[in-house]
Amino acid sequence: MLQIEIDSLNKHYAGFHALKNINIAIEKGSFVALVGPSGCGKSTLLRTLAGLEKTSSGDIRIAGTSVIGKPPRERDVAMVFQSYALYPHMDVEHNMNYSMRLKRRPKPEIAERTRVAAETLGLGGLLDRLPKALSGGQRQRVAMGRAIVRNPKVFLFDEPLSNLDAALRVHMRSEIRKLHERLGATSVYVTHDQVEAMTMADHIVVMRLGVVEQQGSPLDLYDKPANKFVAGFIGSPAMNFIPVVTGPDGHTLAIEQDQAQHLILDRKLVPRSRLWAGLRPEHLSFTEVKDGLALDAVVESVESTGSMTFVTAAVASQQLVVAHSGRPEVEKGAAIRLHISPENVHLFDRETELAVFT
Amino acid sequence: MQGIIRTIRDGSGFDILLLSLALIYLVTFSAFPIIYNIIMSLQTVDMFTIASFNRPFVGLQNYYDILSQPIASAVFWNTVKFVVLSIVFQLSIGFGLALFFQQDFPGASYLRGLFLAGWIMPALVVGAIWKWLLAGDFGVINYILMSSGVTEDRIFWLSNPDVALYAVIIANVWLGIPFNMLLLSVGLASIPRDVYEAAELDGAGAFERFRSITLPLMRAQLGAVISLGVIFTLQQFDLIAALTQGGPADSSNVAQYWSWQLSFQTYEISLGSAVSVLMILFVIVVAAVYVRSTRHEHSY
Repeated sequence: MLQIEIDSLNKHYAGFHALKNINIAIEKGSFVALVGPSGCGKSTLLRTLAGLEKTSSGDIRIAGTSVIGKPPRERDVAMVFQSYALYPHMDVEHNMNYSMRLKRRPKPEIAERTRVAAETLGLGGLLDRLPKALSGGQRQRVAMGRAIVRNPKVFLFDEPLSNLDAALRVHMRSEIRKLHERLGATSVYVTHDQVEAMTMADHIVVMRLGVVEQQGSPLDLYDKPANKFVAGFIGSPAMNFIPVVTGPDGHTLAIEQDQAQHLILDRKLVPRSRLWAGLRPEHLSFTEVKDGLALDAVVESVESTGSMTFVTAAVASQQLVVAHSGRPEVEKGAAIRLHISPENVHLFDRETELAVFT
Repeated sequence: MQGIIRTIRDGSGFDILLLSLALIYLVTFSAFPIIYNIIMSLQTVDMFTIASFNRPFVGLQNYYDILSQPIASAVFWNTVKFVVLSIVFQLSIGFGLALFFQQDFPGASYLRGLFLAGWIMPALVVGAIWKWLLAGDFGVINYILMSSGVTEDRIFWLSNPDVALYAVIIANVWLGIPFNMLLLSVGLASIPRDVYEAAELDGAGAFERFRSITLPLMRAQLGAVISLGVIFTLQQFDLIAALTQGGPADSSNVAQYWSWQLSFQTYEISLGSAVSVLMILFVIVVAAVYVRSTRHEHSY
């Protein structure tokens, strides 16, 4: 069952087309991440769902009912803000039960639901604290508590973890995901961090400049990026791109600056077309792979994190990053061969930047 | 002593220099006049003894004399009315305008700037203009009221003892609105927008957001504006001098003007001092409330 349907949604600010023909369908109970670089329109889209921004054209349906023109309070959505937006003059308890007090729910019900939410989030002992007496992580939990006491149709998250330190962020990721599953809620989560999107979401919507570039499951986006932008955005460290041309028979690829380096492909392409070859750092290997392709490279730098080693190597004056789990015995300045299996080579048209499969 | 000399010689005495400049200023221009005024209020001071400091000490006699004067209670109630009504209207109109200009509409900031005109004008000039506006026979206000049918006859705003005080209050409200509006605008602007958005999503309508978000978060600013308003209103002298001089028959006389009249018109200087000391005591209470209210300032 679809919980949120966005149909041909457009949004214009004075002279600026912020959202361009957005179509997204969100299943009930799923966790959707809107991801993209800053200024891509992901926050605007979220605020449009919440009713904080007006739409210019198109339709938004929540649980089958159009919410266009409805104020936020009639949409039954809850939002967790990046700044948390806690009410500074109210203690934790009153921050969380403000919505119920506004609806004049019976006192015992308010107390019970506040207690349950506080317990779920581990805020039990903090109910009488003011926000300024809380740590960043605690404030974040209060902001979530304020959303969950309402038991809304949809949860909206606007970069809720970006103000936390790295360790807490990783921890809260799984907390939010667990909470989402326990509540059986439908969540829309905005982030600029693709790792957050990959680890938390069932469905990722990649946006750029107000356009949905691609949407699908995290692994779909990783395995089959529709264009060069998505390929470069999803995955960490980012995909390497080198300019290549196909050979006269369409079965080989040559690096544009160094036509001597040939790769033999597993598919047939239009001969003599100019492409980008996308190679993920984790697919490049120092040892030979079966039916693999090889590139001659010179090591430029070696960075080790202990478990992973990132080697930057130059192939025909193009820099490539290689991610290697373990500690390869390579040194700066050494000549090496990089191997990759042909099915891991992504190809994109040089003009349109769209993925090329055949 | 040597320590002080050393710090100054080493150039590290600059902080002491800055501190002492401020301290000297405060002692000369604030502490000394206040203390001298308190001393005068406990002595008999008239034109013959004003030049010498060695004057007969009379204890609280001046205070007794002042409070037993027949116009004392009239002046007291006039002052109460003057302060309370001025504050109520300055605050509510100023707050209303601040909220209005907080809305995003074209030209909002220019219009808000225009309202500051009242603030930069000297009260004496404002008084002179209001005297024309309120004039009984040729005043614009009477003309508007009569031609729109609100009143049948002319109102003699400044010479009718029943309305003179209210005429002064109207002018003083006009004078005080920009200050209130400006300070409250700053307070409103400091409330983050997403707090309102969160409240909107939580189901609060416009009135509910004002009641449960704006008002409590503006508590510190409202406290400051009210306390400063009381102090400024108690200082308001020029406007009264320009409009009614406390008349007719003391019907618009207030404490600060009365104190001036006693000191500089009838030369009962010690009585004038006593009135001003009583006002100082009241202002100290107000200032204490003000200082307390700033403790409620919120950080976001």
